[in-house]
Amino acid sequence: MSKIITSAIAALMAAGLAAPAAAESVMAEKGQSVDLTLLPKFLGILVFDQANEGAQEAHAELENPGELLFVGPTPENSVAGQIEIMTTSTTQGKDVVMLSNNAGDQIVPSATAAQAAGTKVVTWDSPIPSGDGESVFVAQVDFGSIGVVMADMAHSLLGGSGQMAVLSATPDAANQNAWIAAMEDALKGSKYADIELVDIVYGDDQSEVSYNRALALVDQYPDLGVIMAPTTVGIQAAAKAMQDEGLCDQVAVSGLGLPSEMVSYTLNGCAPEFALWDFRDLGYLTYYTSYLLATGAIKGEIGETFDAGRMGEYTIEKDPTRDSGLRVLMGPFTVYNKDNVEAAAN
Amino acid sequence: MSVDASDLLAKSAPGRSSWTAALISWEGLLLAVLIAIIAVNANLSDAYLTVTNQINLFQLSIEKIIVALIMTLIIINGEIDLSVASMMGLAACAFGWLFQAGFPTVAAIPVVLLVGAAGGYLNAFFITRMGLPSLVVTLATLIGFRGLARVLVEDRGITDFPAWFDNLGQQGLVGPLPLAMIIFVVLLAFFIVVLHFSGFGRQVFVIGNNKDVAAYSGVDVARVKAILFTASGLISALAGLLYAARVGAVRGDVALGFELDIITIVLLGGISIFGGRGSLYGALLSILIVLNLRNGMALVNVTGHIQTGVVGILLIVSVLAPNMRESLGAAWSNWRGRRGSR
Repeated sequence: MSKIITSAIAALMAAGLAAPAAAESVMAEKGQSVDLTLLPKFLGILVFDQANEGAQEAHAELENPGELLFVGPTPENSVAGQIEIMTTSTTQGKDVVMLSNNAGDQIVPSATAAQAAGTKVVTWDSPIPSGDGESVFVAQVDFGSIGVVMADMAHSLLGGSGQMAVLSATPDAANQNAWIAAMEDALKGSKYADIELVDIVYGDDQSEVSYNRALALVDQYPDLGVIMAPTTVGIQAAAKAMQDEGLCDQVAVSGLGLPSEMVSYTLNGCAPEFALWDFRDLGYLTYYTSYLLATGAIKGEIGETFDAGRMGEYTIEKDPTRDSGLRVLMGPFTVYNKDNVEAAAN
Repeated sequence: MSVDASDLLAKSAPGRSSWTAALISWEGLLLAVLIAIIAVNANLSDAYLTVTNQINLFQLSIEKIIVALIMTLIIINGEIDLSVASMMGLAACAFGWLFQAGFPTVAAIPVVLLVGAAGGYLNAFFITRMGLPSLVVTLATLIGFRGLARVLVEDRGITDFPAWFDNLGQQGLVGPLPLAMIIFVVLLAFFIVVLHFSGFGRQVFVIGNNKDVAAYSGVDVARVKAILFTASGLISALAGLLYAARVGAVRGDVALGFELDIITIVLLGGISIFGGRGSLYGALLSILIVLNLRNGMALVNVTGHIQTGVVGILLIVSVLAPNMRESLGAAWSNWRGRRGSR
């Protein structure tokens, strides 16, 4: 069997480059001039700064004589601001805009205009829902897998059985709702039969509200063992609440958090385990994808495989989470605990 | 000494040559600032003066500057309408909701405009019939209209409007000029005539100066205010529709926070927040200044926070400047007076 495959590959290779779709990994050629704009949802958020660090790292590594800009709108003007920056970047003749989309499909006309004028649009962190005007989406993780990751963390923190509650962002936050639904799905598995999800509450992604909600949960459910917060604001506030009230022995906090914000709570045992993807890596991979697209080394088609520096090989695939659109999947969660959190926090 | 100075200033004022008077007027100052900004922008970026960029510059803020026109009249009238951006959002969401419910797009447009006029009249009703301050009433409807918008479309985006609708917002209608820019120019001309060349416009100013005096001299204050607020609702709804067409999608947060940008533009135009003073010419110059300044900063990659800061400083200066101008003017004539008597 394997002999047949080997000879088939040999035959293909003998036929010259007739089949470029064969998994030939494209390498980036250094030193080409590409002007890029990194456009986050808004400025002043640590994870976006980290994505910028990753992009800057790749920019230096590829010795790009062009310009890498990090510009973003203010939080209260995010949608209009993103449209404005997309339009301005097109006017400036940038080669690529790397967008963490916060404008939903409202960004589509300006992204389509950008593509028409020769400016590629590569999304990361958050895609264009319809996929229109977007070259490819660099996804941090498979959002379905987050449910399993959270269920597993609860399982290990509870020692296999006990009560947990969810402290989320806002009731209408699309990301969080999808993740919680995925976790509820995962909890149906027999492995988690003794874990009871007692409540889902919302801290509005505000520290003080989240802090109070976490304390209310402990009052309401005396046997509560885990608070799962799939938001970086919520997990930090909940951990602080447990620490301040001396409840860390009873209730463990977990969820999605930033190592730099969580390191002290992980080391003192209030939040022994949490997960996230690395935004530096996301920025780095997005930059490589964009650079290769802009230089024409890849076309942005399904099945193209490329080499992203220190992160290795990636393949462009159809995005299974949207009706249309392409995706590069960065890959698994990093689960942080006392062994690795300090290194990641710096 | 200071009495002498102000005396001198008062005496010298009518004798000033007309160009100094023009220059010293707020509009003259704005014009000078605008010319400076255009010159700097043209110097800093090759792309600035291209037709595409000039149209984008207007298009990116077109809904705000359309609403700024009616806001100018309302503030001159001594009132404020904080609910405009929420009405834009409500209009866009109502349109999206009707569209999704299978309502014909052509018919949805007048329905949405009616919703806008009704919302504006609701404001007017509470202000004129109940005698509540517009600040309070429109703050309440700012929250109410936005809430309704969010209820209508929940947390989804609605998109895939008919191509003709999107094209109206995104493509040139007359040459490269899109529909929204044509509407802006037409409304600007219309409101200049109404405010500066009609009896209604004089009533707007008189009420803004002193509501009670206006009422005693037979001006129907309630009627003027009802017309202004209803027009504000209607124009905000129109702006909301234009926004939906320009971005081709709606969501509950459409136009969130736009009211502050709109009011900033109006105040920067020298329109007094206390009512009774200001002009649409000042508002137009202020619109051009803010748009060109933001565009210039964007082209040289100044980020959002600094852009907001710069516009904020401009606003502070514009509020302080009329007072500073008077004291500076006094100091100047004082100095000249002393020099002359030497």
